[in-house]
Amino acid sequence: MGRWLAARVAHAIVTLAVAATLLFFLMRIVPGDPLSRLSDDRPISPREIARLRERYGLDQPLGRQYAAFLSGTARGDLGVSIEFGRPVTRLIAERLPATLLLGGTVLLLNFTLGLWLGVRQAVRRGGATDRWLEIASLAGYSVPSFWLGLLLAWLAATRWRILPSGGMHDVLLGPDAGMVPVTIDVLRHLVLPALTLSLVSIAATMRYQRTAMLEALALPFVQTARAKGIAERRVVWHHAWRNALFPVITLFGLWLPILVTGSVFVEQVFAWPGLGSLAAGAVGGRDYPLLMGTALLASALVVAGGLIADLLYALLDPRVRHA
Amino acid sequence: MSPAGALLRAVWRRMSGRIGVVVLAAMITGAVAGPFVLPSPIAQPDIEHGGRPPSLAHPMGTDQLSRDVLARVAGGARVSLSVAAIAVAMSIGVGALVGLFAGYKGGAVDAVAMRLVDAALAIPRLFLLLLLLALWERIPLVVFIVAVGATGWFGTSRLVRGEVLRLRESEYVAAARALGGGGGRIMFRHLLPNAIGPLLVAATLGVGDVILLEAGLSFLGLGIQPPTPSWGGMIFDAREVLVTAPWASVFPALAITLTVLAANLIGDALRDAADPRSA
Amino acid sequence: MRRTHLLACLIVVLVPACTPERPAGPSSVVLAVGEQSQVPVPVLKATRNRVADNDVADLLFLRLADLKPGGATSGESGFEPSLASGWTRRDSVTLAFDLDRRARWHDGQPVTARDVVFTFALARDSAVSPTLAGLLARIDSVYAEGDSRVVVHYRQPYAEQFYDAVFQVQPLPAHLLAAVGRDSLARASFVQHPVGDGPYRWVRSDGTSMIELAANDDFFLGRPHIDRVIIRAAGDADARLNMLLSGEADVLTSVVPPLANGDRVTSTGRLRLVGVPSTSIGYLLFNTRNPADTARPHPILSDVRVRRAIGLALDRPSIVRAVLGPYGVVPYGPVSSLLWVSRLTPAPAPRDLDQARRLLAAAGWSDADGDGILDRHGKPLRLSINVPAPSAARKAMAALVQEQLRQAGIQADLLLLEGPVHGERRNAGRFDIDFSGATQDPTPAGLTQSWSCRGGSNVARYCDPAVDSTLTRAITSVVPADSLWRTGIERIEADAPAVFMYSPVTVYGVSTRLHDVDIRPDAPWSRVWRWTAAADAARPDSAGR
Repeated sequence: MGRWLAARVAHAIVTLAVAATLLFFLMRIVPGDPLSRLSDDRPISPREIARLRERYGLDQPLGRQYAAFLSGTARGDLGVSIEFGRPVTRLIAERLPATLLLGGTVLLLNFTLGLWLGVRQAVRRGGATDRWLEIASLAGYSVPSFWLGLLLAWLAATRWRILPSGGMHDVLLGPDAGMVPVTIDVLRHLVLPALTLSLVSIAATMRYQRTAMLEALALPFVQTARAKGIAERRVVWHHAWRNALFPVITLFGLWLPILVTGSVFVEQVFAWPGLGSLAAGAVGGRDYPLLMGTALLASALVVAGGLIADLLYALLDPRVRHA
Repeated sequence: MSPAGALLRAVWRRMSGRIGVVVLAAMITGAVAGPFVLPSPIAQPDIEHGGRPPSLAHPMGTDQLSRDVLARVAGGARVSLSVAAIAVAMSIGVGALVGLFAGYKGGAVDAVAMRLVDAALAIPRLFLLLLLLALWERIPLVVFIVAVGATGWFGTSRLVRGEVLRLRESEYVAAARALGGGGGRIMFRHLLPNAIGPLLVAATLGVGDVILLEAGLSFLGLGIQPPTPSWGGMIFDAREVLVTAPWASVFPALAITLTVLAANLIGDALRDAADPRSA
Repeated sequence: MRRTHLLACLIVVLVPACTPERPAGPSSVVLAVGEQSQVPVPVLKATRNRVADNDVADLLFLRLADLKPGGATSGESGFEPSLASGWTRRDSVTLAFDLDRRARWHDGQPVTARDVVFTFALARDSAVSPTLAGLLARIDSVYAEGDSRVVVHYRQPYAEQFYDAVFQVQPLPAHLLAAVGRDSLARASFVQHPVGDGPYRWVRSDGTSMIELAANDDFFLGRPHIDRVIIRAAGDADARLNMLLSGEADVLTSVVPPLANGDRVTSTGRLRLVGVPSTSIGYLLFNTRNPADTARPHPILSDVRVRRAIGLALDRPSIVRAVLGPYGVVPYGPVSSLLWVSRLTPAPAPRDLDQARRLLAAAGWSDADGDGILDRHGKPLRLSINVPAPSAARKAMAALVQEQLRQAGIQADLLLLEGPVHGERRNAGRFDIDFSGATQDPTPAGLTQSWSCRGGSNVARYCDPAVDSTLTRAITSVVPADSLWRTGIERIEADAPAVFMYSPVTVYGVSTRLHDVDIRPDAPWSRVWRWTAAADAARPDSAGR
């Protein structure tokens, strides 16, 4: 197990390093840099822009910039954001809690509600529930998430006025408001973005789980269990579902990156102060260090997702380690 | 009968597949017939009175620049569907080629190719596209299609490689090799056809993904450039009048949803047909 | 299905219902903006001078004097006392300011002449603030006479000496900053917790989307009526509008365009629109140089007849009405409606398609192949227009411009560009036509930046020595020089370096619970301290609060 694990981790690190290199070179060929915005508000001469460019290292040869990037990244230093003038790691750290809260809620809904609905569909295969859920999940999967978000924000926040339209806190609630009110306040702000993202992503989980469960229900020992007269509920959850879990573990690895990417649009719509909106802003502002930081984090999450999925597999099924 | 033909027949036999095919056919018909019967999608007949509700003259209303929404939905169908079709064909083609070679050659070629594919898969596709597209100040349609196609093949290559590895050592391929078949012949005559089923599934699902991606990129201003109508671009342009002229964004959003739905229905039917166990 | 219902209730019903009570008594105002201020101390900002930073700074810091609404920037009569309680002119190149002796920094220290001299030294150091240093180039020296008198000495006599001394620089506390090295000022902890002398003091920032300020109880010009000011940032325009409509924000800048937003805001009954004249101007800038090789003239646009024809082909009033409704006018020359010289200029030329066609024909353009697009020597009359994607107004207008030019036989391709790319192409001169927008300083002297031969932001390389000498004479004139300004502006209009499209009125959405709302065009939040509002307990907010 030790050797298998070491090899698997090494593979993940290599993958991440190659991804970082790809990202670096992809990013440096983008034209336009943040200093060009200087002239939007105030007159400034090209000479002064050149001096500022030097100050931010944008005039260095590509090779040197790459070397600096590699050694910096290895030390956990992602540079200073050009737009914000502060360390990228600090900016990411500030935004991470909001994104983790939103992404975590969506993952939680996915792997409770989504799995449960998928199993129900499989058990009632072909029935009315199955059909309706099938249609609902397909529709959910096919709607552009930002459009759904715009619609929900309009309905719930400005028309019915039952939920806040954006942000993460009621700004008038002071920092000393106390644990319970603050928690309730954050939860209220969480409802709309989490609902939007969940509606779109639960659909996929349901469909995955339904298929896996159908296969598991057809396994001989499940049939035997049924024939023995074991209660249906126990057959479904105890016998069949355990075997339908494996494909879902893979899905977990695939869903982890939605923590960052899935929320780019939704965070914009709901002004959620997370990584997604930070990344979108970094693209617009050609903020190289910041964009690199968020993209790296997203890639790291993907790699980590794969690694965790593999580990879970290995823990649940020892044969994998020797495969 | 070819395996692909059999699959398509199997799709038509399924209710969901049939619905998907009919919806998609209707979209394509609209896209093709639109320019002959509808006003120009870029004409602005009455700029000071844009955003009119649906009427006999404009069945889907007009947008904030007084352009006919129906004409733009039809024009958008033409653009969005062909972009999706070409980009997906490209990524399936490239993915199949890479997968075939890596799987068949094995060794160092396979190892290097798959390391790169792993790394590329680790970067979320949205980020790759943002970086590629931000390159251009005005994104030419060709570049948009190529960028979307070029970022969509990594998964396909893994898929095809898996199939090839499974079949490479089979008696069937061994027999072909014994009969003196060259590498190219074995790859394209014997290995590729066996991967057609999964490839078709990946392609139909890919069409849905690309249409949604185009919409999302338009939301960030990196989609197909105006005045060329695209569904994503229409929602983006009309979102500021989402409440005051909802028809300008509801209809393109509906078109996206229906098309992606149709692609997924067809994809599901294909999968069921190719793999009867999960039916 | 019962359990599903229960879950739905938990999420949708119970959470809003068990909302916390908010403390009654104090009053607050929430201002919704597009961008979070990162360095709310303009003098210390090496890079971009963001509107977001300047706006927050106006709540924290004072200027020596403020521009009165509609005040002229030449001379001294257009200004009212602020940090300085009075001033005297000693001679044509020397002004003396007397600081208000009651003025205190938020930490209790008195504001002294030393602070002002210290800040001017920073502002005029091009390593600290390159933009300000350039703008203050005509100041020779700034020195203190005692604790509360500051003397500004100029290199030459000119009409806007007073403006230069008071508008650009908000004094900073020397006792907190003098020990910090000039290289590390932008990263000093002061920037994270600024200490000012203005009506509001810094409380906190969440770094991403919210800044909280509190009333400065000891403000020497009078305690602010509203206890708290919260500046809330959301990058997405729809998200901001939703905040205003749902009652989560009290004031929102730039509600219009789109025009329909105006009705949405007023139809709530809890909000009203407040129009504030702005110093902004939007124009289609012609490149007179070849974008591929700036040493050569532009193959099409170097001909003044073509440039004029494009202006005549456009129905500008109708375009402005379609996009801005009543909230914008067509300017004459590069003159926003707030510049005092705008009252000197005639009405802009109306659309005249026939005249446009005649000018184009004289320049050799005709539709030889009958495809509706004019051509010359087999080449079509085809130009690209660079449009910045973030500007809703320019994006909407560009689509209308494109269609109207097509009617005149000109094919215009729109290049919708992200902000930085748009800026870079503009600065590098890589465009045919650039749909530019500029926020002008409230002085016409700023016109030289874009419209004189050696102007720092003259990206189109427009050069007319006659304009230069006229503008220079107008600026250095000691008395207001109406006829010189008019001559210069008319000359620019005749040269047609650009088609001047619109000068907008900034439309604010404002909650009706706010009273005495006074928004200054040059410093929008500088009078928030005199606004009044009902206590928070009476906020007509979203349900459940």
